[in-house]
Amino acid sequence: MNEKPVIGSRRVFMTGNEVCAWAALAAGADIMYGYPITPQTDIMQYWTRLAPKYGRKFLQTEDEISAGFATVGGVIAGKRAFSATTGPGNTLFQEPMSMAEMMRIPTVVLLPQRGGPSTATVIYSQQEVTMTTFGGNGEGFRVVYSTAGHQDLYDYTIKAFNTAWKYRFPTFVLGDGYQAKMREPLTIYDPAERGIEMVKTEPLVGLPGTPGVDRPVQHLRNTYNTEEELYDVVIEIARDYEKAAPEIIEWQEFDTEGEMDILILAHGVVSRAAQGALPLLKDAGIRAGHFRPITLRPMPEEQMRRAAAKARRILVVESAYGQLLKLVKEALYGMDKPIDTLLRPGAGVTAEEIVQLIQEGR
Amino acid sequence: MAIKIVLAGEGGQGVQIIANMLAESAYAEGKEAAYIPNFGVEQRGGVSIAFVQIDDKSIGSPKFPKADIVVALSNRAVERTRQYVDERTTFIYDTSLISAAEIAEEAMGIQAVEADPRSQRIPELTDSSKEKDQVKLPEKAANIIGIPANDIAKNELHPRVFNIIILGTLLKATAVVPLERIKEAIETKLGDKFEKNPALRELNYKALDKGMSLVERLV
Repeated sequence: MNEKPVIGSRRVFMTGNEVCAWAALAAGADIMYGYPITPQTDIMQYWTRLAPKYGRKFLQTEDEISAGFATVGGVIAGKRAFSATTGPGNTLFQEPMSMAEMMRIPTVVLLPQRGGPSTATVIYSQQEVTMTTFGGNGEGFRVVYSTAGHQDLYDYTIKAFNTAWKYRFPTFVLGDGYQAKMREPLTIYDPAERGIEMVKTEPLVGLPGTPGVDRPVQHLRNTYNTEEELYDVVIEIARDYEKAAPEIIEWQEFDTEGEMDILILAHGVVSRAAQGALPLLKDAGIRAGHFRPITLRPMPEEQMRRAAAKARRILVVESAYGQLLKLVKEALYGMDKPIDTLLRPGAGVTAEEIVQLIQEGR
Repeated sequence: MAIKIVLAGEGGQGVQIIANMLAESAYAEGKEAAYIPNFGVEQRGGVSIAFVQIDDKSIGSPKFPKADIVVALSNRAVERTRQYVDERTTFIYDTSLISAAEIAEEAMGIQAVEADPRSQRIPELTDSSKEKDQVKLPEKAANIIGIPANDIAKNELHPRVFNIIILGTLLKATAVVPLERIKEAIETKLGDKFEKNPALRELNYKALDKGMSLVERLV
């Protein structure tokens, strides 16, 4: 049996789904639970091919509701467990994930978004933002990383396990079908050699000692009898979440140092188009900057406001009909900034399209 | 130098394999490269399309609205890739599989092509003569180049190296990667088969050379 799946670091050229499987292996994930759905299925296929070589496990369940609950169960048993789904599968995952929120179960789910609503396309979108950040009957006590390419997929899949287990919130890696199926270069590495220590996992039930004598009673609940009882629990989770948020938030800024004519707000793979638009806009004499939230939940609100304050206008670009826009409006509430939009539900966005829109708007 | 390529054909013509080889050898050459196939809900019968980008700088969006080079290897592929052609595009098609309409473009009109029921047909249900149905080539392209790759493969080499001829053509047209890198990519992909039958290696190299002899450098 091989010990380490990735030794040292090396440059590779592979699909995003393959990257996810390698990242989960490198992160020391013990087991994947899953149910096939395009464009996620390859993650399962790569995992099932690779995992047995390193003593890791896989269970295919009968549907996504079961895959989600099985992942919750695996985590409760103390395993670094994960799953992957997308689209209508993500919809079904909301039930088990809201249980994970309530019971503070550190699940990790990888989500290469496909088109919506419903079956839609199996190809690409950014239409699972609202569902992934605030889905289920709950308060959105989750962490959502939005990746822009293969290096991100590798880095944030590893990080997702640590964020989940450190803060005990369900954590999602929100990619998309383009990233899933595309081949591009990246560096894969052994996290330990980069100084990344994987947070130790532990069983959440069946702990040693007598409950109430040797240790506090471990009572994982998602059911409460009274409003007051529930209120206290939810408020406590909210406080923990708000306390952790400043440590969790991540973002990137491009050309936002000075005054800007326009600040482009985009996340995920669309950020690459925004980054590509900046030099073209500069050539056209337009002072443009770009702010990319990496965590969509919690949102780096203060940082976004600081960047927005330096711009005359905001442009929100996304492959959805206003899901990032909604989060941006919440983050920038009270600021007097005109917001333009380039909303392309289920379709890709290029740098040239962003430039064209900005030039037409002048 | 940045180059965007769209390759399209019928399932089984091997467009995805050569797109991947091209991107992989560009990566091996130290360039930035990205390759993405189109994929839909259909299990069979669709046009297979591959998008390849090779650049010195990091690559933005995985897909793109217009390509520098479009290669179409069936009538349906011509229809399906029309949207990626603009006045800067070099359009390469296989003359042995596609026969261009000789009707005056003005007489035919654009709608006649857009509504062409051929693009809706399931290939298995149509007779073999459909390959010779006429199709209108893109109007705007900077260059339109017809090459008889399928006939060459069938008559001079072997039908299975058809896609390698196309790869040779692309290599010559773009000069984006050295021949040696492509040979390495072929070796990685087919090395096992070459071990058993070294004549296959020669056959593939011949196909590459043949493909390269069909065009001049274009970009």
